[in-house]
Amino acid sequence: MTLASAGERRASQQARRLSGSRKVGRISYWPFVLPALVVVSAVVVFPWAFTLWMSVSEWKVGEPYHFVGFANYLRLLHDQRFLQSIGRTLLYTVLSVVAPMVIGTLAALLFNEKMPARGLLRGIFVMPMMATPVAIALVWTMMFHPQLGVLNYLLSLIGLDPQDWVFAPDTVIASLVMVETWQWSPLVMLIVLGGLASLPADPYESARIDGANAFQRFWYLTLPMILPFLLVAMTIRMIDALKSFDIIYAITQGGPGTASETTNLYLYSVAFAYAEIGYGSAIAVLFFLLIVVLSLVLLHVRELSGRILGTTK
Amino acid sequence: MAAVTLSHVGKSYGAVGVLHGVSVDIADGEFVILVGQSGCGKSTLLRMIAGLESVTSGDISIGDRVINDLPPKDRDIAMVFQNYALYPHMTVRKNMEFGLKLRGTPRAEINEKVAHASAILGLESLMERLPRELSGGQRQRVAMGRAIVRDPQVFLFDEPLSNLDAKLRVHMRTEIKALHQRLGATVIYVTHDQIEAMTMADKIVVMHDGRIAQQGAPLDIYDRPANLFVAQFIGSPSMNILDGQFAGDGSAVFITDKGVHILLANVPAENAGRPAKIGIRPEHIMLNDSGIAARVIVTEPTGSETQLTLDVDGHELVVLIRDRVDYKPNDVLKIGLAQNHIHAFDADSGSRLTL
Amino acid sequence: MSAATRRRMMRFASQLGTLFCAALLVSPALFFFLWMISLSLKLEIDNGAYPPIFIPTHIAWKNYSGVFASNNFFLYFWNSIVVTGTATLLALIVGVPAGYGIARMKASKSAIVIMIARMTPGLSYLIPMFLIFQWLGLLGTLAPQIIIHLVVTVPIVIWVMIGYFETTPLELEEAAMIDGANRWQIFSQVTLPIARPGIVVSLILSVIFSWNNFIFGVVLAGRDTRTLPVAVYNMLSFEQVSWGPLAAAALVVTFPVLVLTIVAQRQIVAGLTAGAVKGG
Repeated sequence: MTLASAGERRASQQARRLSGSRKVGRISYWPFVLPALVVVSAVVVFPWAFTLWMSVSEWKVGEPYHFVGFANYLRLLHDQRFLQSIGRTLLYTVLSVVAPMVIGTLAALLFNEKMPARGLLRGIFVMPMMATPVAIALVWTMMFHPQLGVLNYLLSLIGLDPQDWVFAPDTVIASLVMVETWQWSPLVMLIVLGGLASLPADPYESARIDGANAFQRFWYLTLPMILPFLLVAMTIRMIDALKSFDIIYAITQGGPGTASETTNLYLYSVAFAYAEIGYGSAIAVLFFLLIVVLSLVLLHVRELSGRILGTTK
Repeated sequence: MAAVTLSHVGKSYGAVGVLHGVSVDIADGEFVILVGQSGCGKSTLLRMIAGLESVTSGDISIGDRVINDLPPKDRDIAMVFQNYALYPHMTVRKNMEFGLKLRGTPRAEINEKVAHASAILGLESLMERLPRELSGGQRQRVAMGRAIVRDPQVFLFDEPLSNLDAKLRVHMRTEIKALHQRLGATVIYVTHDQIEAMTMADKIVVMHDGRIAQQGAPLDIYDRPANLFVAQFIGSPSMNILDGQFAGDGSAVFITDKGVHILLANVPAENAGRPAKIGIRPEHIMLNDSGIAARVIVTEPTGSETQLTLDVDGHELVVLIRDRVDYKPNDVLKIGLAQNHIHAFDADSGSRLTL
Repeated sequence: MSAATRRRMMRFASQLGTLFCAALLVSPALFFFLWMISLSLKLEIDNGAYPPIFIPTHIAWKNYSGVFASNNFFLYFWNSIVVTGTATLLALIVGVPAGYGIARMKASKSAIVIMIARMTPGLSYLIPMFLIFQWLGLLGTLAPQIIIHLVVTVPIVIWVMIGYFETTPLELEEAAMIDGANRWQIFSQVTLPIARPGIVVSLILSVIFSWNNFIFGVVLAGRDTRTLPVAVYNMLSFEQVSWGPLAAAALVVTFPVLVLTIVAQRQIVAGLTAGAVKGG
């Protein structure tokens, strides 16, 4: 055997081993992921690309595509109805994050305690979140009725004046936030409850031995440890509140006037009532960017607070 | 049954090497234990033999086949996992049958093999139970049963006893050893527990930082540790180590860094004045009225023996004595070292020096 | 009074306090659903009364029989079942293996696509998809709604399943590998059976959120392809608003979901907590 052939043989062995080693140690999981990748591309990625393309056009249903560059975006900057809708959306979102966060966290602390019929009570508390939004919106509309609604009757029982609820511009946002809070506090509760369940017991026992009272235990132990969960709940709540649609549409359609027209509802009107595809797409893009930016801000807060508290999540 | 040969086996993840040129010859029917601290590469090596990790360099052979590139199912091996890896949705019987079924073994043969294995392991009454209905020891047995029915050339065990309580662990140790003697199979067994290694193995491979620190019969390793790591790792309580140097005048004396003179049987002339460490196992130190003075720090009786922690001029020594003694802290007693059982190691490399 | 008795009484009092707070917290939900039932069972006279009447003077079953008798109810009900059922089934078929693949590849970062799906307002999908369905001439069928419901169901399934597969030990699959299984045998005979609880969770959540979806139907459904939520909303606009039948219809629409919530509360809580926390 010549030296060259021996060398070649060694090289081919080496190659075989390298290719073989990949097969043995790690099997490929791509075939499992591929179908989902196709579906997600078709229903998520592709529509996004299409939306971007449409947003630089002046396009109405039934008319030809016409490229206009950033004209739609520039038009948005001067669209009073759009700008007002942004302000309204932010107000709606802040209120719809804060109230469910407070109530949901309190509920989680409560449902974390031992009590009779805990499962049943928690089940009832969770029901608003699971119920069909349109169905509950219809019933809320009846309850909000200024003359015959049960809410004004309940107010009268505790000696308060009747309200116009969703039927007056001043109170419509607050009323909708009330429904949103009623509906989504349970999600905050579930997330925080998950956090509370994951807490170790030892520090509490040691704190008790150290003489910490209930409030101190909450402030120095529980709060820092569940902070990551609170921020997760807050992020999710914020995203959901920003894109809230069903409840507002079914109860007020953005009214009275445009008093409850959030960006999402304005987007609906532009794209599907006025059939302005290009302009609607531009709103969709900007609206999505707003959601992304605000989420990133919260994510940053999360990392920052994690670093400060030394917790990683 | 077959011999297993590891020749210059290496493993790296990218630039990080975890195993470096490991070579072991395992004879047909031998019970070999890979032992070492966590992270020493012993489990990786076992998983490479199993085919769960790829081989970066070197060759692994079973019988006369190089199996580097074979998938696990073609290697004719069976493995018992640390957490048993019993299929939770299958009964004990189904668990044991699974491997045979996948290989298309005829039904009659499956039944016969499962019946045989369950009889060996005393599992007959548990065959229709699910894993979650079994105790830890029973699960352990099912995991072994699953390996036995396959009648493989090599059995691999990955820390199989580490999830059992102390008493059961001792019991299963005996059982596995008896099983090995009965089946005559080649076994490769990974553990971090040096007592398991000492009691069960025909051959121990002590691993350290991805290399073999020493391999050999258990008592050989115990009596003649090849280096400082093995000396301290094998044996419990572990060997006492003293820093210092051999006397410069060529006499058989070791002078510790705290100035204690220890008489040795012999020191080769070329080692005179050489810095070194000496080691002595706790059971090789005894009470001796004409010996060195030592102050008692702690007395720990176990019933069968007494472990004393002593202070000898600033050196802390652990001593194991058979007699019942009742020393109090700060009592002073005299000890002597069994000269024939003193080990010496190079101060830098830690490798064994001949005395 | 002995110290032990006093301690027992203190504990009893604090439990009572906790229970009272819980009752207070639950009361808006409880009141709402009781009031919904009450509305749906009252005659118009009772529903129009002020002060409101809680217990119906006469139980108006006809509110319900009216819902079921309306000519299109069963069509809409069937539409809902087809859309939710198909969208969930498809989501499980592609989502369960994907969750497995992503978990095993430790490619949780790839789930960022799912994050984006979660953050995107449903309307953004609707504009392009509406046009495409129009071109394809699919608008008169249920296909557009089924396809766009995948936007909801696929991420839920993948999300829950990633979390689930991450907790199933790799050791089992390695054992199966050594037992001689190939990768499909490992998936179908070992991984999938073990993941059954996770599949149930993702199925339940997918069904609920698809069933409840309103926005896609509003845009994509024609007269014959409405799902129940859209149909019940249209009752509001087209018939003279009478509260009893409307409340009955609303209750019928949400009834399956509420039953599912009560029956499978534990799984839902587990799924939402895991999914939500990861979703952040």
